[in-house]
Amino acid sequence: MTASECSASGYNFAYLDEQTKRMIRRGLLKAVAIPGYQVPFGGREMPMPYGWGTGGMQLTASVLGQDDVLKVIDQGADDTTNAVSIRAFFERVAGVTTTTATGEADVIQTRHRVPEQPLRQGQLLIFQVPIPEPLRFIEPSEEETRLMHALEEYGVMHVKLYEDIARHGHIATTYAYPVKVDGRYVTDPSPIPKFDNPKLHMNEALMLFGAGREKRLYAIPPYTRVESLDFEDHPFEVQQWDAPCAICGARDTFLDEVITDDRGGRMFVCSDTDYCQSRTEEVA
Amino acid sequence: MRWNAFDTPVHDSQRVYRQLLSAMAEPGTFAEVGGAPLPPSGAAIGTACWATLLTLCDLDTRVWLAPELDAAGINEALAFHTGARQAERPDEADFALVTPATLAGQGEAEPPAFQEGSDTYPDRSTTLVVMLDRLDTAGPWALSGPGIPGQRRLGVGQGGEALMTRLAANRARFPRGLDAILTCGTRLAAVPRSTRITRSASEEVDTCMSP
Amino acid sequence: MYVAVKGGEQAIANAHRWLADRRRGPRETQELAVSQVEGQLRLAVSRVMAEASLYDPELAALAIKQASGDMVEAVFLLRAYRTTLPRLAETLPLDTAAMRIERRISATYKDIPGGQVLGPTYDYTHRLLDFLQLANAEVAPPTAAEETLADCPQVLELLDAEGLIEREEDDGAEPYDITRDPPDFPVDRATRLQMLARGDEGYLLALGYSTQRGYGRNHPFAGEIRLGTLEVEIAVEEGDAPLCIGEIEISECQMINQFGGSRETAPQFTRGYGLAFGHNERKTMAMALVDRALRAEELGETATGPAQQAEFVLAHADSVEAAGFVSHLKLPHYVDFQSELELLRRLRREHAKRTEAAGSDVGTQADDVTPRASHSDLVKEQQA
Repeated sequence: MTASECSASGYNFAYLDEQTKRMIRRGLLKAVAIPGYQVPFGGREMPMPYGWGTGGMQLTASVLGQDDVLKVIDQGADDTTNAVSIRAFFERVAGVTTTTATGEADVIQTRHRVPEQPLRQGQLLIFQVPIPEPLRFIEPSEEETRLMHALEEYGVMHVKLYEDIARHGHIATTYAYPVKVDGRYVTDPSPIPKFDNPKLHMNEALMLFGAGREKRLYAIPPYTRVESLDFEDHPFEVQQWDAPCAICGARDTFLDEVITDDRGGRMFVCSDTDYCQSRTEEVA
Repeated sequence: MRWNAFDTPVHDSQRVYRQLLSAMAEPGTFAEVGGAPLPPSGAAIGTACWATLLTLCDLDTRVWLAPELDAAGINEALAFHTGARQAERPDEADFALVTPATLAGQGEAEPPAFQEGSDTYPDRSTTLVVMLDRLDTAGPWALSGPGIPGQRRLGVGQGGEALMTRLAANRARFPRGLDAILTCGTRLAAVPRSTRITRSASEEVDTCMSP
Repeated sequence: MYVAVKGGEQAIANAHRWLADRRRGPRETQELAVSQVEGQLRLAVSRVMAEASLYDPELAALAIKQASGDMVEAVFLLRAYRTTLPRLAETLPLDTAAMRIERRISATYKDIPGGQVLGPTYDYTHRLLDFLQLANAEVAPPTAAEETLADCPQVLELLDAEGLIEREEDDGAEPYDITRDPPDFPVDRATRLQMLARGDEGYLLALGYSTQRGYGRNHPFAGEIRLGTLEVEIAVEEGDAPLCIGEIEISECQMINQFGGSRETAPQFTRGYGLAFGHNERKTMAMALVDRALRAEELGETATGPAQQAEFVLAHADSVEAAGFVSHLKLPHYVDFQSELELLRRLRREHAKRTEAAGSDVGTQADDVTPRASHSDLVKEQQA
């Protein structure tokens, strides 16, 4: 192994050993070939807890190259603690350049958001996934859900959404809203707000999903049909806010609510900090 | 016969992998594999094919080799450099090195039956690594589906009919099926099972002829 | 003007410095040496090695020290280290009958060939706090036996000779390796045992206990519990004698459970099995109870208790997975929460509007909901 293949920390480039990377790489090729299908993989323990992005990190570690520019976001922001921690990890074990600018990144690892700025061909968006099985909360048994996917038996999912409508007048799923990929697999888009679901449809970037604890990975290739499940008289719709972003004035972004005092004062700001900042700079 | 490995295996295999990943994600697009070792003279496979094997194979994979590609000690080289085991039967193979002629079936023999996975585990299937004498956009094959905005054209040279017919058959068995990595010299492309393949009139563009 | 909180990196670094200080504790007390943990908290070391699936007492002790005694954290530290290790060779199967016994008891026979050996045990100690230890009183050395014990036959083998207990057959199949491949439910017994062996002790204890209280009762007897050291061997070259690479301490529990049998096969006792690195007696007993419970289907029993549901038991046994996912709730969920808030406010607005318009039709539109044409396959299914 040459010096550049080993980082200062004494670990292999990007932490994972080459055999683990190859196992994940082979899995990813199958995932891309069968869009939306969850490929089981021999997930490894990472030096961070399960549930904190180990699936996304293993995927990133497997695809990342020394010339790549990496961006890491959590809740849309580059400066949330877990994003900071994961970014620092890859700086240390892979020595890669990092950025907060969506447009400059080759690889973006994300938790719970799709960036507001449209992605371009060649970019990789890697999602951290807690529960990859969209049917899990309807059917807890893996044996059963695997069969349901095989038989394309997704009636229960519609029944569940239907029950929401019966009870609330609306579908009560607001994040991790199930999608159908290329007309075949019902897939969990990870806990992104349903606001982001339309961005998955015909996206130019390759989207990879990694669930470390559950040891599953899956993919949505670029230019792929992604439909959010819905009903004719209750069409899928995204969240809307009454006010624009208090910082950049955007009206078409996902907004975080910020409590400003203890008297009920609140404001709404873009959850995508890079997008918000670049708009503020443009205006200035 | 000297078969060389990558100069810097960690980074070279990462680079080739990203080309393979892009090829699989965007069927009908091409990548030129640079900085990869040239197989020895007398070998029946090209640079892109060898680089693919070096990138994806290891102790955990079984490789099936079509008889017509068994030259210059490729099996020994593959075992030495990657640790990959030979698959006794085509349906045991994780990767199968083939030519379009392999898929046409030679003489009286039936074409080899590779592993297509099951409806519950469609990922447990053979990936074809195909050696072609031509790989370009100048062919009668129109690709559409995931990874393809609209349509892409593909030409796969001599005997392409058998290859593309086999891959087109994937559609009816989805999610079971065979995924194919296509190679010609230093060029590679891929056709995953999700791709819809139709035949249309040919036109001449951008050709890669293998040496 | 609101400014997003910056400086996460600095905050994290400061938090870690504070943690290191807390771990070190008051500087006027001597720093705990790893060798002290290894030598004097050996049951903690055993538990960490077992649940981390790595036999290395020194590193387990280091993990315990580094984790300030948090066992789940220590298991995680050692497990994360384990994954970075290369796999150089595979050991030959251990033969626990060849164990150098430190402790060996059976609850099924008063006397057994080789004898009952109490060994170092907390059993029969009166659980009274020993205040002398506050003053670090000297401890007298044990009285060692004159001669080492001869090989002790396995108690269950004695029953086997009479055909009274089911025989365990090695089918020669390559065992599945849960550290390399994800478990693929339903899993076979070898895989289940691997998952239980690294399962959280508290979790297995509770599940094992539940079977004793009627949630999947299987009438267990502690056929034999043994603890001791065993040589670990690897095969070097075919034909050569195996090579001993060291000795490990190991605990084993074999439960004898009520009979199976049918019209065709004579009734026989059945087995539950537990094995763990180090001195881990409670863990192996709990593991044996749960192993037996998970054999319900195989033995033609109706699964009535949680401990008999394989997917449920096995998917939640790993403390590293469980602790990680529970603790991830500490991560920001602003976006998901905001999504829920938005919907909840909307639902409440609509509810208020409906209440206001009391007297008019309050029903929802749910009666005429139809899935979209693109999902017509689903509609058909629902109607079927």
